[in-house]
Amino acid sequence: MIDKKVLNTLLDEGLETGADFCEIFIENTLQNVVRVTGQEVTQTDTNNVYGAGVRIIQNTDEVYGFTNQVNEPSLRKLIHDLRSSFSGPALKATPLGEAKPLRNQIKRPMREVTTKEKADKLLPLAKIIGDFDQKIIQSIAQLIDWEQNILVVNSKGVYQNDERHYARVVLMAVAKDENSMQQAYEGPGRSTGFEIFDEIDLIPLAKETAQSAITLLTADDIESQVMPVVLHNGFGGVIFHEACGHPLEATAIAKGLSPFVGKIGEKIGSDVVTAYDDGDVPGAWGRLNFDDEGKQTQKNLLIENGILKGYLVDYRNGKKMGAESTGSSRRQSYKFSPTSRMNTTYIAAGKDKYEDIIKDTKYGLFAKKMGGGSVQPATGEFNFAVQEGYMIENGKLTRPVRGATLIGHGSDVLFKIDRVADNLDLGQGMCGSISGSIPTDVGQPTIRVTSMTVGGSGVKK
Amino acid sequence: MNHQSWIDKGIQKGLEDLQVYASRDKSLKLSMYQGRIDQYVQSDVEKVTLRGIYKDKITSVNFENTTETSIDEMLDRLIQNASALTAVEPAMIYAGSESYPEVNTRLFDFTQVPAEKKIKLVTDLEAKILNQKFVKQVQTTIYQETANTTTIVNSKGLNLTRSSSFAYAYAVGVFEKDEDIKTAYEIELVKSFDAFNVDEMAQKTLEKGWAKLGGTSVASKAYPVVFSNEMFGNLLAAFTSLFSGESAYRNLTPLKDKVNQSIAIEGFDLIDDPLHKDAYFQVPFDDEGVAAFEMPLIEKGVFKGFMHDLKTAAIFNEKPNGHSFSGRISPSNLYVRPSKTSFEELISPIKEGIYITELAGIHSGVKAVSGEFSLQAGGFKIVNGEVGTPVKMIVLSGNFFTLLNTIEGLGSDLKFGLNGIGSPSVYVASLAIGGE
Repeated sequence: MIDKKVLNTLLDEGLETGADFCEIFIENTLQNVVRVTGQEVTQTDTNNVYGAGVRIIQNTDEVYGFTNQVNEPSLRKLIHDLRSSFSGPALKATPLGEAKPLRNQIKRPMREVTTKEKADKLLPLAKIIGDFDQKIIQSIAQLIDWEQNILVVNSKGVYQNDERHYARVVLMAVAKDENSMQQAYEGPGRSTGFEIFDEIDLIPLAKETAQSAITLLTADDIESQVMPVVLHNGFGGVIFHEACGHPLEATAIAKGLSPFVGKIGEKIGSDVVTAYDDGDVPGAWGRLNFDDEGKQTQKNLLIENGILKGYLVDYRNGKKMGAESTGSSRRQSYKFSPTSRMNTTYIAAGKDKYEDIIKDTKYGLFAKKMGGGSVQPATGEFNFAVQEGYMIENGKLTRPVRGATLIGHGSDVLFKIDRVADNLDLGQGMCGSISGSIPTDVGQPTIRVTSMTVGGSGVKK
Repeated sequence: MNHQSWIDKGIQKGLEDLQVYASRDKSLKLSMYQGRIDQYVQSDVEKVTLRGIYKDKITSVNFENTTETSIDEMLDRLIQNASALTAVEPAMIYAGSESYPEVNTRLFDFTQVPAEKKIKLVTDLEAKILNQKFVKQVQTTIYQETANTTTIVNSKGLNLTRSSSFAYAYAVGVFEKDEDIKTAYEIELVKSFDAFNVDEMAQKTLEKGWAKLGGTSVASKAYPVVFSNEMFGNLLAAFTSLFSGESAYRNLTPLKDKVNQSIAIEGFDLIDDPLHKDAYFQVPFDDEGVAAFEMPLIEKGVFKGFMHDLKTAAIFNEKPNGHSFSGRISPSNLYVRPSKTSFEELISPIKEGIYITELAGIHSGVKAVSGEFSLQAGGFKIVNGEVGTPVKMIVLSGNFFTLLNTIEGLGSDLKFGLNGIGSPSVYVASLAIGGE
């Protein structure tokens, strides 16, 4: 690591030609992947990400550079290259302060666990999937873990390290009959160590994954139509993530490219919708102690009873908007300049019961498990896929359906949410955007959307 | 860096064979917003992959910390990881192919172009789009250049180098008419700086944006569908894993037992050509050092065989065909062979259909294993054989295998994307559209 005094000098040098902000981000990340296919260990990879990123800002103009040569001469050259974009009087950096303590509670960091120990935990899970039914032709259990160690220093005196531990178990089942091949997966993740295998009850999840693939074999292709949709808790929150989360990021707001620009204090959804983005949910996949600008993460209220309360803001976009950072600045690695992103984003629990929502729905789609989705924040148009769905007919779940994709518009979908249950849960995903791919939680209780366009290749039954 | 000394060190630690794959990227990116360069990014990063065999098991470690202590740690990791593998599979490091195809090695050096010219490019591009009809703003205008050098050295004596150098630019226009907002961009990738044509790029972006405005949904039902060349390429890209030897070996493709069987209409050829003259990159060898050559995956509708790396080629008792890239099996320049039919002729028989020019959410709406896809889409109506008014907010659904057998026609307008996938426009008899 580079000495603190040296970092202070480098930050000073960054400000010598008129810039008003200089930041150095140093990262060392070690990622491991262990994969069991059937009953064999088929993949054991290690990936290391190592380097430094330098960001220099004058007003809101930014220069960014990165290298994997983390040493004083190489960083100095980079800073001198970058600062030549600016001209103006020199400023002095605030002397670097002290790092605040981290609040991690990792029992057994993955760095202390051998590859074989990990494989031994995965083998029984793949076996449960493989033995579930004769129609299961492939079973995969995979552990992806990584530890990201960062240090971020800036000319405002911030000196902050963070140590981020991620663990995710991916279970996959492939089923086949005479008509088709179907796949199903689950991918629970936490900010944790090897204890993930104790914290999550993986055996029932492995069975569910296998059952899901089997169910899909006999499911009908859903027919395209506009209808009410009940989205189940947990990963169902992908709807809010795509439809509203991304368009509430300062990246979109600062340029005026979002349906939610200038709408703070206005009604943007129905009364039953309250939503948060929280960077500090203990043990959550999307949690950080400190964001990638060194600011402590916090719980941010986005929407309260349908009224827009806040955006997700980073330092630079905050300057453009005249807003404070919300501790939401994130990046995949030193290869990206940070910007406002989500952490753990969810619609808060309501008072309804899940069973009642189904019972009160005459006809519609019950989206039990969701896949990923995407949004174009400027237009607000979003989509996401349903992994496992069932038709609701006269208040009851009837036949399974597959291949549904749901589309909508961020500015009106929140108004169409009319029921929110009390069973809040989170689901884990990797969220891709301009500052790279980062772990985020989506979440919600079971909700009902009164009308959505559902696409599928089925024909009328 | 002395790659040979790393190999020596690995062999000393007990590895039977070791390969060093080192890839160095230098890049520059300019981003313009409202007449100012609001972001400038420069980088220089070397990534190394060590691939080694220990007690007949092969695995890889990837790293960016190339200090000597890190190399030691990575070699130890490699040995630990290889020891944990239980699958009994061929483990090979390649001594080299007999010969390698010639590719153009005289690359344009974008770093020699003065910064002012690059800034002028994005300034002009933004300006030519702004202040045009219905343009609300230009979200961002990007110029990026990248030079890459990749070296593969191994204990079998292989020593290969390949290089690439390219730049691209685009502007994202935001268009608005009667509260309908649409975005459009046109990426131009070039091998030399003078090849940029700002007027043409701006014009294409404007035309794309204007055409999308005022779109409506359509009634939910099945329609004849024509994919634009770009969109069929994007859809095809999501299904390339079906043609991978690894997928076949792992039971993850329904094509497993279909070699030499018909899987598409007779007029359908799908070819991987690493050296295709119209593709953006010519790739003389893959990441394991296997020479690249043209290979049909589908010929006259018949599935001809899987793409392989060294391991899966050995498993299937075939010759390696040079498809190992970034630790996976993938094509280099995969394309659908075009016909001689013009786009106008292609759509002329369609009375009522949909022309697809936009697909979104391909990473989530495609299930490669089953061939199913269900995707947010946009485009235009086709009415009485001609392109009509714009269509937005629809879902296009179908099955890739069914689609291959219901193609009614292919256009002549082959276009390669930046992802290395090429296609002409493709007319499919019937696909489900979800709309109103």
